[in-house]
Amino acid sequence: MRHILLIAAAVLATNVYAETPRDFLTRFEKEAGAPASAERGARFFTTKQGGEWSCASCHTEKPTQPGRHARTDKAITPLAPAANAERFTDAAKVDKWFRRNCNDTLNRVCSPQEKADVMAWLLALK
Amino acid sequence: MNSETTAVRVWDLPTRVFHWSLVASFATAFITSESEKLRDIHVVAGYALAGLIAFRLLWGFVGGAHSRFADFLPAPGKLIDYLKSLLARRPQHYVGHNPAGAVAIFLLLAFGVIAAASGWATYNEIGGHFMEELHEVSSNGMMAVVAIHIAGVIVSSWLHGENLVLAMITGWKKMRSTTHENPAG
Repeated sequence: MRHILLIAAAVLATNVYAETPRDFLTRFEKEAGAPASAERGARFFTTKQGGEWSCASCHTEKPTQPGRHARTDKAITPLAPAANAERFTDAAKVDKWFRRNCNDTLNRVCSPQEKADVMAWLLALK
Repeated sequence: MNSETTAVRVWDLPTRVFHWSLVASFATAFITSESEKLRDIHVVAGYALAGLIAFRLLWGFVGGAHSRFADFLPAPGKLIDYLKSLLARRPQHYVGHNPAGAVAIFLLLAFGVIAAASGWATYNEIGGHFMEELHEVSSNGMMAVVAIHIAGVIVSSWLHGENLVLAMITGWKKMRSTTHENPAG
């Protein structure tokens, strides 16, 4: 019992300071109420979802590589955590950029399931 | 009592063109702020806003009488007196900027300078997350002052029985002969 409490305290304490990419997968899966599918995430990421752009339009189909802004041509650092340790370590940033970029690609917010699937795929990339 | 009115020239043409151009550029920048697709429009609107503010800072020293900063330097004592006079429904009358409007203008210019500079830095990838945050906070601060400014214009227009929006379009105000030409500062 004491061990469980210590682990819970440690997890809560780290959550206050910084998240890891895997924390977001856990969070989105929990919100979706279903397990994520990396395969579904790959398809979602690389194909247009009714809008002018897909995620890959800026982040490329290999997000371990640097991307390029589809409007301004500016360089974008890799999105996959394996290639960029800074990605998915700050909940405020993650929520902000999902909000903005989902609106640009889907003209709506992304569902927790869509976010969980994309996270699973990005985490699987090496 | 003499209720004769005379027309007074208040806002010179450059000040009026500046005012409505700033409205247009800030509105455009604000509307396009959430979108990557409209990012280029947002950046152009930001440059326009920066250029307009640069002009206004210069015009504050060499422009028409009521457009000069010396005409409406913020003064806490006058601001409090003015706000009290509004609450008492006996508003003190100023031809140019009233003391509350004066504060709004300096806040708008300051927030505008910070928003444009931090926006430029963010776009050019200087200053990282801090500049991004500063850009959002200063832009939202500017929008908050705009909201207060619009509310103030409506309340003041109603209390003074004059159309302040029309004055910013035509440059003229109708003055009752009892009005003094005293500056806000």
